[in-house]
Amino acid sequence: MSKYICTVCGYDYDERDGDKSQGIAPGTKWEDLPDDWVCPICGADKSMFELAGAAAQAPAQPAVTEHAGEERQDARHQAILMSNLAKAASKQHNAPMASLFARMEAYFNQRSAAEGDMNSAHKLLNEDIAARYVAAFNTAREVGDRGALRALTWGEKVSKIQANILRRYLKDGDSAFENDNVYVCEACGFIYTGAEAPEICPVCKVPRFKFNQIKRGA
Amino acid sequence: MKAVRNIRLCTKDCLCLFVCPTGATNTDDGQIDASKCLDACRACVDACPSGAISKVPFNFPPQQPKQEAVCAALRALLASKANQEAAMDAVIGSPASPVEAQLARALKESIRIVAEDMLRESGYMLPQSEQARAALRGMLESEQDADFPKDAAEELLRMLES
Repeated sequence: MSKYICTVCGYDYDERDGDKSQGIAPGTKWEDLPDDWVCPICGADKSMFELAGAAAQAPAQPAVTEHAGEERQDARHQAILMSNLAKAASKQHNAPMASLFARMEAYFNQRSAAEGDMNSAHKLLNEDIAARYVAAFNTAREVGDRGALRALTWGEKVSKIQANILRRYLKDGDSAFENDNVYVCEACGFIYTGAEAPEICPVCKVPRFKFNQIKRGA
Repeated sequence: MKAVRNIRLCTKDCLCLFVCPTGATNTDDGQIDASKCLDACRACVDACPSGAISKVPFNFPPQQPKQEAVCAALRALLASKANQEAAMDAVIGSPASPVEAQLARALKESIRIVAEDMLRESGYMLPQSEQARAALRGMLESEQDADFPKDAAEELLRMLES
């Protein structure tokens, strides 16, 4: 009997116990779990799990792609900077400053080119997980940058759930999410697909009221 | 430092009113009057049973220096995130189905949050940081379209440099 750990939220699937919440009987082997089984905590599919106790793969020095995609997206970089500073100003309870940054963001949002599709985003996310996060983790560890390590830890987990949602959508189309509601954690960006947002965010642990529902057809 | 109230956590026990020596908390707009709040006092913070009040600095210290190697690694991720967000915008512009549009909107919001976090850790945590101010000055100095909110950029620099 083995255990498998979810690399997004840390849930462990113990073959001894099965998964009562989804009608999986005790003693069900990992390989006998149906392909559409997902983590009962965060919704990641089987591809996001690792065998517990397996020797952690030594992160090979990854080949970092210098140029991530075709467009340089200069305006979008400015928009992201402005929305980040708008949030920072509102966390300082400075509403006038926040609204000035929001006006700057709107200007740069309007100039941000739309380019790509679900496939290209999936490919970039997989590169992030295989190479860019690994390289950034190594660098941040070398110099002991705790702030960067914190951001990378959350960012990598959220990127994994993003990649997983794209993988499932590209494989099964609408039917993969037709009966789900969709929620985004406003603190870390974790996306939950299911009936109701979790009580606490599986990645950053904020309570349910921090989840925004993304309605269909809105 | 000035006291601020997180109205989401406030349970209207009003002990802040009871302990405040200046009446800064006697307002009816949910906030605390910064002009009456005493710099070194934290009576309301300690008295609040809901932990709804904290003190924020009038002036922030400079951000701790960041190593260029870390910033470069974070920028590589940021560039990738910007391109992912651009892809979601393209999908939102012409979605194949309502489910695809919904997922793309959720992904765009999620990608933006992760991208912002990469910037925060590469020197843009605070609007008051020298890097953030330099970015605003750079925007004012470079060529922009007619509807560039120049007044907003100038007002921000005034606020941040005072």
